[in-house]
Amino acid sequence: MTGLHPALVGLIASSVLLGALLGLVAYVTLLERKFAARLQSRIGPYRVGPHGLLQPIADGVKLLLKEDLVPADADRTIFNLAPLVFLVPCLLIFATIPFAPGLGVADLNIGVLFFLAVSSMEIVGLFMAGWSSNNKYALLSAMRAVNQVISYDLPLIMAALVPVILAGSLQLSAIADAQQGLWFVFYPVLGQLGFLAYIVASVAAENRVPFDILEAESELVAGFRVEYSGMKFAFIQLAEYAHVMGTSFLGALLFLGAWSGPGPLWLGPLWFLLKALGVFLLITWIRWSFIRVRVDQILQISWKLLLPATLLLVMATAITVVMRIP
Amino acid sequence: MSPETSPTIVKTLDYTGSERLTMNMGPQHPSAHGVFRAILTLEGEKVVAVDAVIGYLHRCHEKLSETLTYAQYPSIASKTDYVAAMTSELAYVSAAERLAKIDVPKRAQYLRVLVAELQRVASHCLWLGTWCMDMGGALGGGATVFLYCIRERELVLDLFESLTGARLLYGFHQVGGVRYDMPEGWAGECRKTVDLIEQRLLEYEGLLESNAFFQMRTRGVGVISRELAEDVGIGGPLLRASGVAFDLRRAQPYSSYEDFDFKVPVETAGDCYARYQVRMVEFRESIKIVRQVLDGLPEGPISSRPGLKSVAQVRVPKGEMYTRVEGPRGEVGCYLIGDGGAKPYRMKWRGASFSNLAVLPYIIPGHQVADVVAIMGSVDPVFGEVDR
Amino acid sequence: MVADLRPKGFLAETWQLVRAVLRAMRITALSFIRKPVTVHYPDKPRVYPDRYRGLLALTYDPATGEENCIGCRLCEFVCPPAVIQVEMLKSEKRNFAKTFTLELYACEFCELCVQVCPTDAIVMMKSFDMATADRRDMLLDKDRLHAIGEQYTASWATGNRLRDMQAPPKKAAGEKPAHEKPAGGAPPVVSEGGGAAGVEP
Repeated sequence: MTGLHPALVGLIASSVLLGALLGLVAYVTLLERKFAARLQSRIGPYRVGPHGLLQPIADGVKLLLKEDLVPADADRTIFNLAPLVFLVPCLLIFATIPFAPGLGVADLNIGVLFFLAVSSMEIVGLFMAGWSSNNKYALLSAMRAVNQVISYDLPLIMAALVPVILAGSLQLSAIADAQQGLWFVFYPVLGQLGFLAYIVASVAAENRVPFDILEAESELVAGFRVEYSGMKFAFIQLAEYAHVMGTSFLGALLFLGAWSGPGPLWLGPLWFLLKALGVFLLITWIRWSFIRVRVDQILQISWKLLLPATLLLVMATAITVVMRIP
Repeated sequence: MSPETSPTIVKTLDYTGSERLTMNMGPQHPSAHGVFRAILTLEGEKVVAVDAVIGYLHRCHEKLSETLTYAQYPSIASKTDYVAAMTSELAYVSAAERLAKIDVPKRAQYLRVLVAELQRVASHCLWLGTWCMDMGGALGGGATVFLYCIRERELVLDLFESLTGARLLYGFHQVGGVRYDMPEGWAGECRKTVDLIEQRLLEYEGLLESNAFFQMRTRGVGVISRELAEDVGIGGPLLRASGVAFDLRRAQPYSSYEDFDFKVPVETAGDCYARYQVRMVEFRESIKIVRQVLDGLPEGPISSRPGLKSVAQVRVPKGEMYTRVEGPRGEVGCYLIGDGGAKPYRMKWRGASFSNLAVLPYIIPGHQVADVVAIMGSVDPVFGEVDR
Repeated sequence: MVADLRPKGFLAETWQLVRAVLRAMRITALSFIRKPVTVHYPDKPRVYPDRYRGLLALTYDPATGEENCIGCRLCEFVCPPAVIQVEMLKSEKRNFAKTFTLELYACEFCELCVQVCPTDAIVMMKSFDMATADRRDMLLDKDRLHAIGEQYTASWATGNRLRDMQAPPKKAAGEKPAHEKPAGGAPPVVSEGGGAAGVEP
């Protein structure tokens, strides 16, 4: 790769990543459906392809063929742009994740910061979708969403800071390398609490049950995306699952040691993937076990419980690290 | 979902917080429990007024009953409260029997109690599942509880299917007794099923009872005070959760209920959690009654007017009669005016859910939109009864 | 439920929250390990109980091969939604039904016609498979009703059996013994997995 222009290398790398990502996200939806089904004493998709393996493709084709509706009095430009504005940050976050030592599109030295900042930009797309739909339900849900995502991004950042402080760097590959000896999740008390806080905050920041009040189907019938159909809806779905996978990958990297695992080094990405899927399944398990919480209670949990807790956690981590240096 | 034009939305969302938004919930709505339209007036997230609109499921049952004889109508009666079909049929058939002074054999009375209590178990399974689904979302944890409850309800429906041949709308009762007797081995299967359900109830309570989210959603939500409960005239678990110890099976025992030993659960809090607790205890008490019936089932005929030889074989003399039974939702009543012929002159249903819904405009205002579904689920309306 | 940041109350409540969460997740995990209750219908047939109220059919007398229906029209009069139309055909020795129309799309499956039939002519089958795209396929005439009777298994309930189940015990010899336990058959076995048919994971 040394003879090629770095821009070309970057282009090829990002195309490969994008392709792999879209395939992964599509099949992650199937994984979630099968997993959820087994939690509920039933079998998930079964008929489309052997054991439902062609289900995501069938869903994709169906969504492509659907009629593309724009509500009569909706703001057309914003309505059409919103899925894109929602999707792009969710895909962009994968650029900073190294899948093996040296195997990443852009291993920035402010990796964690970039990841968290860009991933919280999806809220703009969400609000655009809710506002431009010209629908009371969508608007209510968009307003709830802005409230919720902003309140939970703060504890998420604090929880993600725990491994950063322990590793001493914002660069994602450096954090992964610092876990060669001991994964951060096994760090006494601090690691476990940090992981717990990270999981809770990410479930809420991604609008997953039990914090999915903004798309509460029984009240708001799909919330901000109620007026979307066809490929735009597919984009929104894709963006949501990509965001979940992104935070799962980040969680696996920050807490579970990324690519470290038994076997030769080239198995590293596989372990990374398995760990990320493990985090994802944990989030899914939580999703299918709880009823949702009301929006004011969600905000209470965030501001009164989670944010002070994570602030204390960060302080405790910092004190621990400082006391080790001399 | 009625879209308005953008300028109107901007106008009604005044950030000083004093503007009101009118939102329509239903009649097609995933948690409307049937076809129910609630016009909510919101201030931000808080509901300030509820206007309930019903009538979307009106099927002219009462007029229909004037054209059908006493032998034909019981299988139609199950279609009012279709979730608890046995109790609806029982109300109509009891009214005709009491007016015509027809005795019901002891075995038939015990069988009626047996199916009524099994029906209560099945109905409460459905209530719990749909309520959690409303609170948790069709694609979330609520769906898990829903599928577990439906799995249990299917076992009871399988029992009914072996008894009568139908899963949901049975036509089990007839004037003078019941139509079907228990097949071979049914009693053993029934015992196994209720044992399994009792065990699974522990699982549901484990999923819900100590769950902080569940407590947050249901405690203090939708409080019906004792005075309000008695004024509005609600019934069933709603009444008992507000502190009124009134159960028709105790107050006016019908169909040999006085032979059985069971507890009537009463709570005083009056909120959604209290109604949940009352129904969970009712599950267990119904299972207790089922076991007592199976232990003490007498031999004998199952109907004092056996066989159907002609469509007009039951004639009810002139007079009026009001009979009430304790359905899973409250008091199901049937008011019958007989005129000496084979068809009633007039028949009126007192639907339990119809009276229960009247309490909604009093208890919903002051809560948030998310609480509306929790309250409606705990009131447990079935719109077949409401609209008839 | 969510307290202020008082040290003791905060920790106790958080611990309670964590414990409740773990308990709920344990129960869903238990379901994960158990066999699913799904039955792969229509690949695997569903087990119908003996008294299942399915499609309607007319029967022949197995001894003589003649139709059982005598055209008495009792089923027509008893049917609540009035879906049956019968014309009687008078003949020496016994009557027949000249035409027998049953509108299955409006039928309630209440089994009153079966209960009232004096000759066990009309019965219900242990199947409901008649999905069609054209409602006119469900307007059954006499030939189709007989064909359905040949095609599927009849359920246990016939007019005479239902009447005997309800009739008071008879002491006369020769007749069915007093209150014979009707062989309706027990429901499918109640097991943890639920369905009687095998399940593929």
